[in-house]
Amino acid sequence: MWRATITAHLLRCLVGPSLRRGRPTPQSGTSSAPRICTVLVALVRALPVPLVVCVSFAASLSLAAPLAHAQGDANAGKAVYDLKCAGCHGVKGDGKGPAAELLLPRPRDFTSGIYKIRTTVNKTPTDQDIFRIITDGMPGTSMPPWNVLPERERWNLVAYIKGFAGEKLKEAAKKVELPKEVGSSEASIKRGKEMYEAIECHKCHGNDGRADGPSRGELKDEWGQPVPPANLAKRWTFRGGQSRTDIATRIANGVLGTPMPAFLDAVEKPEDVWHLTNFIMSLGPDSPRYATLLTVTAVKDAIPDDPNAELWKKVDPSNIPLMGQVIIDPRNFNPSIDLVSVRAAYNDKEIAFHLTWDDPSNSTKGDGKATFVDAISLQFPPQITDSTERPYFLMGDSSEAVYLLRWEADKGALEASANGPTKVAAIKGGEVTGKAVYANGQYRLVMKRALAVQGAERPTFRPAVFTPVAIQAWDGGAGEAGPRMSLTSWYYLRLEEPQSNRKFVIPPVVALLTLAAMVLIVRAARSRATNT
Amino acid sequence: MRKTFVVASVIALGASAVMLASGTRPATAQGGGTVEVEVKYNGAPVVEKIKVNKDTEKCGTEATVEKVVVGGNKGLAHAVASVPGAKGGKAVKGVIDQKGCKFIPHVAVMSPGEIEIKNSDDILHNIHTYSTANPAINKAQPKFKKTMTEKFDKPEMIKVTCDVHSWMLGWVAVTPGPAAVTDNNGVAKIENVPAGKQKVEVWHETLGKQEKEVDVKAGQTTKVSFEMKGK
Repeated sequence: MWRATITAHLLRCLVGPSLRRGRPTPQSGTSSAPRICTVLVALVRALPVPLVVCVSFAASLSLAAPLAHAQGDANAGKAVYDLKCAGCHGVKGDGKGPAAELLLPRPRDFTSGIYKIRTTVNKTPTDQDIFRIITDGMPGTSMPPWNVLPERERWNLVAYIKGFAGEKLKEAAKKVELPKEVGSSEASIKRGKEMYEAIECHKCHGNDGRADGPSRGELKDEWGQPVPPANLAKRWTFRGGQSRTDIATRIANGVLGTPMPAFLDAVEKPEDVWHLTNFIMSLGPDSPRYATLLTVTAVKDAIPDDPNAELWKKVDPSNIPLMGQVIIDPRNFNPSIDLVSVRAAYNDKEIAFHLTWDDPSNSTKGDGKATFVDAISLQFPPQITDSTERPYFLMGDSSEAVYLLRWEADKGALEASANGPTKVAAIKGGEVTGKAVYANGQYRLVMKRALAVQGAERPTFRPAVFTPVAIQAWDGGAGEAGPRMSLTSWYYLRLEEPQSNRKFVIPPVVALLTLAAMVLIVRAARSRATNT
Repeated sequence: MRKTFVVASVIALGASAVMLASGTRPATAQGGGTVEVEVKYNGAPVVEKIKVNKDTEKCGTEATVEKVVVGGNKGLAHAVASVPGAKGGKAVKGVIDQKGCKFIPHVAVMSPGEIEIKNSDDILHNIHTYSTANPAINKAQPKFKKTMTEKFDKPEMIKVTCDVHSWMLGWVAVTPGPAAVTDNNGVAKIENVPAGKQKVEVWHETLGKQEKEVDVKAGQTTKVSFEMKGK
């Protein structure tokens, strides 16, 4: 019986890699997947593996007894863990799985017993805390939600994972007692803002919560890895969830293993925790509501260059998600810019694009090694045709170029032609103008150009035509340049048809004509009737 | 007669037990001596300078991180000299202040128990400890929270940092017996050390630990010197 179990276990671990290929790794990208598998196979086939397996198996057996109070079965948890979790968290639970080095934040090291997201005032999380992270995942990180696993298996994982920390979690979990909840109101948000300033949240999170505070670059986690502060204006990326209670709990307890301290005893009055929560929730929407189509609004008047002009407040933004470029070297597994809001308008002469994106550092110059100049590009085909064929989305290739409306923090706006990320050339005679403002961790940029232009490299924009468009962005302060960028694949842009008066004129005219015709017919009929 | 003998022997036993018990107790000021510890370091000081990008009114424009401070006559500062075996002496409460974006003192010595943490800077600091024996804490201390009290019950050398000002580094030495920190000449005076053979331990945050045995005489000062080696 025993021997059979151990043999089965050994077999499972040795054939593991073929199964592990199905593990979702959102950050690992297409081309790096084979590499991870190679590492996995090499690791598992390596000599010490049977030893490790035996040791960990023995450990899991010995752990089963003290964990009897837990709801899960640690032994059963191990089987699931080795299959689904070890790729990142490591067979030993030390966070050093084969994929770990590509991930930021790094996978959790369970042997330390440090859990970031917990509802307790002490180090030990509740079982429910661990269960919840397994179930919901951690937004903004590589940890996916594992709600695909049956609930029983998730509880088994909780039991197994806790065992990695051994004695370090021997203290019983002590639940945090949050003060009485205060609902959101204008007064509460105002008080929250006062408290935000008084307790200096902005030191890390920035004045508007966009993670651009002066201490941001110095922050390191317990394991010495750089850890950026949360962008409070994007609460859908909050690691521990974005509900009111989640946010209040993080403020009260801090995030263990990171620089985020506990504020429960560090606010003026206990209920300030809720005022802060209400203020943070007022900083941004609950979801990005990503757009699928970019609409260019038709206007009659001149389009302002100023990114803060009134017009731009009236135009609805289209939020476009950006991903790290992981197709060619150097890859960008942890992109800085994840969203660009696009507003666009045109009149009979010009077209203008208003772009808004968060960048925690305003880099107008770089050292060329670790830091570079911030930049952004809107990409179009060189000519807009009816063909569904488009150039290669990654800034074109040697056979087909793309047209770029590009802005660089030191040079300003320019028109360029590209045959790949490293082959970008400014177009002679380009006439785009650009004006950018940077404030509190956010860029706002207006790029404006003539609607109709000359030259084979430059497209003319026409109303009601589906125009391919893509976006690339670089946070130079985070070391992004060249192929290290955030990008989108092709989207479509559509210039809405001019708001002519016809829709107000034609229907009444038609109605009047119909009425006149009816009158004529009725009259003709009557006169015929009287005549006969 | 026999009864009296039994009573007498019980009393004698009890008395000797009391005497024994008090004998294991550390000597108080009257019965103890002083150990003067001199710590030398032959290497170069390690001091890093960091440009400050915030709170310059309080922190200055340049912060110094003093990892190894070597004073006059090659004396090593900030080393903790302690007699770990002499437990149960007068409890020393820990006090550490955050002033000018520095922990003052750089190394605070305390007996297991409470520590008072002050913030004299009128800006946000956070007390982030890296402890294993005691619960690790990371608590915010905004400008209006001038003092807070924490408990470190287990003997341990605890690293303390502030994430808002990453150059801030301090240590809290929770020692079971009497202890002192070396001054800029590398000298520390440990007082109230019980007479007899005692083990003296010297610890430095980057240079490690050494120990020596000394014969402490009541009412006298015994000198002992250490030489730390670079790692």
